[in-house]
Amino acid sequence: MEDLLYSIGQKSGIYNFMHTSWGWPTVESLHFLGLSLLIGCIGLWDLRLLGVARGVPMGALHRLVPWGVGGYALNLCTGFLFVVSAPNQYLYNPAFQIKLSLMAIAGLNILVFYRFAFRPVRAAAAGAPAPAGARTAAAVSLVCWIGVIVCGRLITYFRPPYHWCFWC
Amino acid sequence: MIDFLIWLEETRPSTWMRESGGAFFSSLVFHSIGMAFVAGIHVVTDLRILGVAPGVPRSLMRRYLPALWASLAVVTVSGLALLLAYPAKALTNPVFYFKLAAIAAALWIMRALMRGVLGDSRHDAAPAPGKEKALAAASLVLWVAVITSGRFLAYTAKVMLASHLLY
Repeated sequence: MEDLLYSIGQKSGIYNFMHTSWGWPTVESLHFLGLSLLIGCIGLWDLRLLGVARGVPMGALHRLVPWGVGGYALNLCTGFLFVVSAPNQYLYNPAFQIKLSLMAIAGLNILVFYRFAFRPVRAAAAGAPAPAGARTAAAVSLVCWIGVIVCGRLITYFRPPYHWCFWC
Repeated sequence: MIDFLIWLEETRPSTWMRESGGAFFSSLVFHSIGMAFVAGIHVVTDLRILGVAPGVPRSLMRRYLPALWASLAVVTVSGLALLLAYPAKALTNPVFYFKLAAIAAALWIMRALMRGVLGDSRHDAAPAPGKEKALAAASLVLWVAVITSGRFLAYTAKVMLASHLLY
């Protein structure tokens, strides 16, 4: 896995680009921008479901969600650039493993939300509270994304082999 | 200036920020989460003024103001803590002053928008006037500049501590 990612980075020129003096910080800035867009759109949507800013019509607010998905897509792309430029800093790092797990939980949570909880939310009146199922999904989403940010910072702050690891 | 920085970085709160292990890292984490909400709420409000999610009455974006104030408090406290840990690192770097100026301009714009196009539900029916759309677009550019300069701070610093300048 590490060899494959490394060779992708080398052959595509990503590795060389990322290790110029401005490559890494520029892509990091885009990654932070994407996460702000994600939290701004998905996070405010979750907060509304949890009862913050009641009065904002949920069906209309949902039009912001695609912009949050755009932020997510930007972060998948920029995140890929980091990983192929230093695969061993990520693959063996428990913070990165937890980050991916939280992203998977958030993804499953999205599927469950749209399958079971979205229809009554969309139809709800402007000032109405969200049903309990939707509130639960919103809380799971917020906790996951905030956890993703915490793990993202942990990745670069504690690097393997000196990484922070609670099962080692 | 240098004497002051050397004195500041040798105070107990400053050394504690650097040496306690968790203090610096947790400030960094809170600064990141706070940034996501501060920049996120501003970006979403700007997008709304520019015409995204037209079914959301603009004046109702003000309901997110308490969340914005709370996140501004988080970034300010964590930012001051990070500054206290390595005062010379930021204060000797022009990028830091650029970041502060961009934040000030962005907050001033949001204050103007809150008093204008976001301030009165009677304005909600019509699209935002061109001048306020221009302000919202400027705000988007400023937040990109704040985030980018914040990130570049870590790469453009010339010194970590003022005492290093003595040798």
